[in-house]
Amino acid sequence: MKADHHQTFSPRESLTGRILFMIDKNLARGIFIVLLALLFGVPAVLHYPIGNFARGGPGLFPTMVSCILGVIGVAMVIRSRFIRPEPLELNLKNIGIIASLVAFALVSEHVNMIVGIVLMVFIAALAGTNYSWWRNVKVSAMLVLFAFGFARLLGLNLPLY
Amino acid sequence: MEALHNLAFGFEHALTIHNLLYCALGCAVGTFVGLLPGLGPLATISLLLPLTYSMDTTGALIMLAGIYYGAQYGDSVSAITMKIPHASSIVACIDGYAMTLKGQTGLALFTAGFSSFIGGTVAIVVLTFLAPSLGEVAFLFGPADYCALMLLGFVCVSFVTTGSLLNGLAMCLVGVLLGQIGTDVNSGLQRYTMDLPFLADGVGLVSIALGCFGIAEITKNLDERKERSPFNGTIKLMPTWTEFKRIWPSALRGSVIGSFLGILPGGGPAIAQFAAYAADKKMSKYKHEIGTGCIEGVAGQAAADEAASRTSFIPLMSIGIPENPVMALMMAAFIIKGIQPGPNMIAGHPELFWGLVASMWIGGCFLLVLNVPLVRYLLSIFKIPYNVLFPAILFFCCIGTYSVNNSIDDIYITAVFGILGFAFMRLKLDASPLMLGFILGPMLEENFRRALLISRGSFGVFVSRPISGTLLGLIAAFVVWQVAAFVLAARKRRNSPEAEVAPPLADAH
Repeated sequence: MKADHHQTFSPRESLTGRILFMIDKNLARGIFIVLLALLFGVPAVLHYPIGNFARGGPGLFPTMVSCILGVIGVAMVIRSRFIRPEPLELNLKNIGIIASLVAFALVSEHVNMIVGIVLMVFIAALAGTNYSWWRNVKVSAMLVLFAFGFARLLGLNLPLY
Repeated sequence: MEALHNLAFGFEHALTIHNLLYCALGCAVGTFVGLLPGLGPLATISLLLPLTYSMDTTGALIMLAGIYYGAQYGDSVSAITMKIPHASSIVACIDGYAMTLKGQTGLALFTAGFSSFIGGTVAIVVLTFLAPSLGEVAFLFGPADYCALMLLGFVCVSFVTTGSLLNGLAMCLVGVLLGQIGTDVNSGLQRYTMDLPFLADGVGLVSIALGCFGIAEITKNLDERKERSPFNGTIKLMPTWTEFKRIWPSALRGSVIGSFLGILPGGGPAIAQFAAYAADKKMSKYKHEIGTGCIEGVAGQAAADEAASRTSFIPLMSIGIPENPVMALMMAAFIIKGIQPGPNMIAGHPELFWGLVASMWIGGCFLLVLNVPLVRYLLSIFKIPYNVLFPAILFFCCIGTYSVNNSIDDIYITAVFGILGFAFMRLKLDASPLMLGFILGPMLEENFRRALLISRGSFGVFVSRPISGTLLGLIAAFVVWQVAAFVLAARKRRNSPEAEVAPPLADAH
C-alpha cells in the first residue's frame, strides 16, 4: 500500500516533499461541475417560469441542461472513486495576472489607459519568474507605443489620455 | 463547368489589391502569433479578431481565414523546431522534432510547408464541388434534426479534443449554460444577468475566448518554468530531388484523409493528423522509418492538417453548424460582420463565399512563398524571454476585449473568465469544447423549443424523423460503447493482482 502512494505523486513533488496534503483532482473536478450545475440550475428553477414542453418558458432549457450537467458531475465524482487520485496543483501567484487585468480596467476607467498599461505591466511581472523594474519600464514603453499605433493606424477608440 | 466558372468569379474577388494584402497580412501575422508559446489557432484568432473590425466584410473574413491557417502552420513550425505543440500539432512533434534532432530542420519545414500546400489545394477542390450541394441537403433539416446534429457535434468534439467523453461533454454543457446569460429571445426575460446592464446582451465571445485561452495559457506557461532553448542552427531549406519525390505520396494520402475527416462533425485538424500518421505507418513505402524522423511522417500529417482545416469550413458555410471550436469562433466572426452562415450564404453572398474559397488557395501560395523562406527570421521570436512576452500578450488581450464594444466592463468579464479558465486548467478540463457549446447553445435552445412547439410537446419527433433519429442513434451507440469500455477497463484492473484499486482519499494524507 505504501509503495502505491508514491506512484500517485509526480516525481518532482515526491522529491521536494512539497505536498503535505492532497486534493484529488478527479474528485475536485466532479464537485466543481456539480457546483456549476447548481449555480445555473437553482435560479432557473426558482426564478424563471418553466412552462411546459409544448410551450417552453425561459427556465425550461437551462433547467434541463443543468440537470444533465449535474448528472455528469455526479458521474465524475463516482468515477473518481474507481481511479487513481491525482494531486491538484495550485500556483496562487498566477492570480496576480488576473489582478493586473482588474487594475488595468479600474485605472483605465478612472484615470487613463497609459497609466493602466504601465500599472498592468508592473503588477503582472510579479507573477513572472524573475523581476526587473528596468525591464518593466522598457516593456511598458513598448506597449504604450503599440497602443498609440492601434489608435492612430487602425482607428481603435482607446481612451489613452 | 459551373464550378470552374464560380472559382473564376471567386478569384476575381480575391485578386483585388486589397484582398491580396489582407490575405498576405493574415497569413504572416497568423504564423507569427501562432509561433508564440501557448497560442494555438483558437487563441490566435480570438486575439486578432479585433484587428478586422474596421475592414469590409470580404476582406475581414479573408484575413481571418488567413490568420487561421497561418496560425496552424506557425503551430507546426514551433512543434518541429521546439517540440512545443498546441492542440493542433501534436503529431508534428514526433517525426518533425526527430528530424530537427538529426539536423534536418530545414527539410522538415520545407516538407511541412509544401505538404500543407498540397493538402490545401486538394481541400479546395473538395470545397468547390461539395459545399454547394451540401447546402441543398441542409434544406431538408428541421429543428429536431438541427438539435440532433449539434448534439452529435458536442459528443464528437468532447471525445476528440479531450479524450474523455465525460470531461468534454461537461465543458460543452457549461458553455451552453454560459450562452444562456442575457435576454431570452422568446420571452424577453433577462436570465442570469444579476441586473447588470452590460450582461443584457450576453457575455462577449471574445471575453470568454481570451479569458479561457489567452490568460489561462499564460498561467500555464509561467508554471512550466523551464527555459526554452532558442533554436539557433542553420537551415538548409531546399530538398534534393530524391527527397522531394518522397513527399508526394504521403502528402496526397494525407490530403484525401484530411479532406474527408474535416467534413465530419467533431472532425478537424487534430484527428485528421492522427489518422494520416496512422495511415502512413501502415501504407508508406518507408514505414519502417516512421517515428525516427523521416519525410513521410511529416508530410502526411501536415497535408491532412491543412486539408482538414479548410474542409471544416464546409459544414459551417453550407449547413450553418460549426463542427469544431475554431469554426465556432469563425462563425462568430461571420455574425459580427452581419453574415449568417448557412444554406443561404452561398446564394446570398456569392462574392464572399467564392472569394473566400479562392483566397484559401492564394493563402496557401503565400504560406509557401513567404513563410517557408522567412521562417528562420520568424523563429527569432523564441529569443524573446517569456517574462517580456506575457505582459505583451496580456496587453493584447485587454485591447482585444475592450475594442469589441469600446467598453471597460468587458475587461472585468475577461478577468472573471481568466479565473474560470485557470480553474479549468488546474482541474484538467479542456476549455475548447466550452467554446463550441457557448456558440451553439442559443441555437440549440431555439431549435429545441421550436421542435417541441411543432410537435406539441412530444419528444417522439426527435426519434421519428429519419435524420435526427439516425444521428441520435449514433450518439447512443457511442455513449454505450464508452460506458462499456470504462466498466471493462475497471473490471480488468480489479482482477489483475499488482495494479490495485486507487486508495481512498483519507489514506493519502
